Amino acid sequence: MLIKARIRMMYRYINLGSIKLAFIALLTPLIIAACGDSSSSNQTNNKIDYTKNYPASNSGTLIDAMTGEPSGLIAMIAGESAASAIASNIFNSLLKYDKNLELTGELVESWDVSNDQKTITFHLKPNLKWADNQPLTSNDVLFTWQKVTDEKTRTPYGSDFKLVTKAEAPDANTFRVTYAAPYAPALDTWAGLHILPKHLLKDQDINTTAFARNPVGSHYYKLEKWKNGQFLKLTRNENASQGQAKINKLLSRIIPDKAAQFLELSADNIDSMGLNPIQYARIFPARPDLNKNIALYKELGNSYTYLGFNLKRKPFDDVRVRQAINYAINKQEIIDGVLLGLGEPVASPYKPGTRWSNPELKPYPYDPNKAKALLKTAGYEDHDGDGVLDKDGKPFTFEILTNQNKEREMTGVLIQRRLNEIGIKANIRVLEWASFLGRFIKPKEFDVVVLGWSLSLDPDQYSIWHSSQQAPGQFNFISYSNPRVDKLLEEGRLELNPDKRMKIYHEFSKILLEDSPIVYLSAGYGLTAIHKRVRGISNPAPPAGIGHNTYEWYIPSAYARNEMSDH
Amino acid sequence: MRKLFSNPLVLIGFIIIASILLLAIIAPLIAPYDPDAIDVKAILLSPNSQHLMGTDGLGRDVFSRMLYGARISLMVGFVAVGIATAIGIVLGAIAGFYRGWVDTLIMRIVDVMLSIPTFFLILAVIAFLTPSIWNIMIVIGLTSWMGVTRLVRAEFLSLRNREFVLAAQALGAKDGRLIFTHLLPNSLTPIIVSSILGIASAVLVESGLSFLGLGVQAPQASWGNILTDGKEYIQFAWWLSLFPGLAILITVLGYNLLGDGLREAYNPRSSQH
Repeated sequence: MLIKARIRMMYRYINLGSIKLAFIALLTPLIIAACGDSSSSNQTNNKIDYTKNYPASNSGTLIDAMTGEPSGLIAMIAGESAASAIASNIFNSLLKYDKNLELTGELVESWDVSNDQKTITFHLKPNLKWADNQPLTSNDVLFTWQKVTDEKTRTPYGSDFKLVTKAEAPDANTFRVTYAAPYAPALDTWAGLHILPKHLLKDQDINTTAFARNPVGSHYYKLEKWKNGQFLKLTRNENASQGQAKINKLLSRIIPDKAAQFLELSADNIDSMGLNPIQYARIFPARPDLNKNIALYKELGNSYTYLGFNLKRKPFDDVRVRQAINYAINKQEIIDGVLLGLGEPVASPYKPGTRWSNPELKPYPYDPNKAKALLKTAGYEDHDGDGVLDKDGKPFTFEILTNQNKEREMTGVLIQRRLNEIGIKANIRVLEWASFLGRFIKPKEFDVVVLGWSLSLDPDQYSIWHSSQQAPGQFNFISYSNPRVDKLLEEGRLELNPDKRMKIYHEFSKILLEDSPIVYLSAGYGLTAIHKRVRGISNPAPPAGIGHNTYEWYIPSAYARNEMSDH
Repeated sequence: MRKLFSNPLVLIGFIIIASILLLAIIAPLIAPYDPDAIDVKAILLSPNSQHLMGTDGLGRDVFSRMLYGARISLMVGFVAVGIATAIGIVLGAIAGFYRGWVDTLIMRIVDVMLSIPTFFLILAVIAFLTPSIWNIMIVIGLTSWMGVTRLVRAEFLSLRNREFVLAAQALGAKDGRLIFTHLLPNSLTPIIVSSILGIASAVLVESGLSFLGLGVQAPQASWGNILTDGKEYIQFAWWLSLFPGLAILITVLGYNLLGDGLREAYNPRSSQH
């Protein structure tokens, strides 16, 4: 009797635990599947024919989805892609890149570079205004420069602007900066700095100001409403410095999960989202109902994925070992298997097909025999016959580190398999992003990483490859150090002639490929889905991408959706 | 034994567990493919005659991975519960036999451990360790011994003053002999029942951890991480979610039926006939 009662108690305790877990483990797919079905209830909306032609009109709301919420809308403080995506609709820079990626004026009419290449004078457009009707003058630009170079400002972008030895605003429409030495990436840096209003920020602490959540800018849109964890709504700025955008409102909904975003897209609750290769190459072709209303865009991104060696650790300090691993990895297999063909091989740290990418360079071909031969010259052979190469009695084994990202994890599995075939035993370790960066990358506690670089448009990669950039938290965390590369990177910053500059970076890429401090894996395509109610999108995309002319996009009023009341 | 299997639920539970065990043991013999063999030309094939359960995002055979995954899931269950039961028996026996302040101390530790949600405790511990199957087993074991401890203590407390124990003690039996030959064998039934039910929950915890990416690491297959992979493709590759989900469901059900049936069978109240 007593025994039974006790067993009951125990039994219930254990079982309660398992029931809760059963819900997590088993029902999640069912719940997701059930949500998927609800999308079909909205199919009635799909009867509208989105192929008719309408003239451009000023109307409509474009709804897109983002995975993360910005921490604030001052881009130099937030330093994250979610913030700059929204902030770049609100703030202007002095310069911008046009659709062919040539620099052109945004807030400035023109600019002059002095004969000694050290001084740049910017001439602002006349009668510029902030969204609150205050005039925008060179004092605002000077103020922004002071803020970005201020030691108290917590920004990762300060170093470029600290090279300016003198900045002045001789009159309301003129801004002049002087560098100690010619600095080739200078104009590029001014195209990336959002100009902030002095009259609202002069008495504020820029790191903590409420302005970051209630910004006033000069670009096409101004912030109308920001609902935490749900959406940011932008509405047209009547004082916009670049003329009026055609779409009335931009609504960015915060939906952390890509699969959930896709369901919202299928249910016609959002107009645009970035797709992953599976959604693009597998789900879309199988869903004619989606294809009818949603257009897909594909463009090569300005980024690449790589396998990087910790050059401070043995045996990766040996170039033969690095080259051997490069030969042992089948890059095409990764492009086909992980990116489902939606990627390109790369052989230099620049976007394939651009001026800076050296067309003579070819990726290391997949050649396991050559890899084995190279490892043999480096002293690695299978002496004890256990299938794993060894040297001085120690087996060749290491850990491949990457962050929680399905594609990188799959890449790791493919690499592991190929290395295993030539007798290198690699383990994979997948980590959450914050601890990946904080505990392993910044203190350089890793053997090998699979990671990606997003690139700026200027070819200067001093911060990634120069031997002086190896302190904890700096970008050269693989500890690459080559005097020839250092010299080329320094020359590249001083050289303003584009053709000479190109030669410098082609030479730099060539050395980098031979040295093989990283194994280039692939450059993935950016994949975007946009509802066909949105018009005016350039297809095929110009070099600057489909996003270069969002202000010309329009939604014919016949297609504009009804406003949701709580937005 | 016959009485045990006269309960159809026990029989079903037994058959389920025995067949999964068998499949796991002979996995290398019956798996049609190497579970880690990648084939980028055969990505995400639906179930067919070559691939009984289809292929995953890297073209690996899901059926083979399921078989090898069964080994992981079952091994985690047995080892973790073995650790938990061993700790539970030792602590429970000490507390129940010696009583007094030792008992109070051990039971307060149990209370403290029980007040922390186990799954989150495991998550927190795993975050500081290298995720691997061995760490998972140890951590699950070290965080789930409290139930067994309470159970063994309760058994000992009730048996401690029975006539046969007192008699043995009067005859001069030492503490060790009392514990190992008199008390423990008479407490075994509830321990076995709780262990079997514990295996079920350990299997679920392992699947849950692997689902969250903190359990068994790629490329090693476990039901939990096959299920995670399937989440990405659920809109069109149902086989990647259904089979591991079903396997977990059936295994846990099997253990629960078996444990439940054993409890009924050895219950003194139902052994009247």
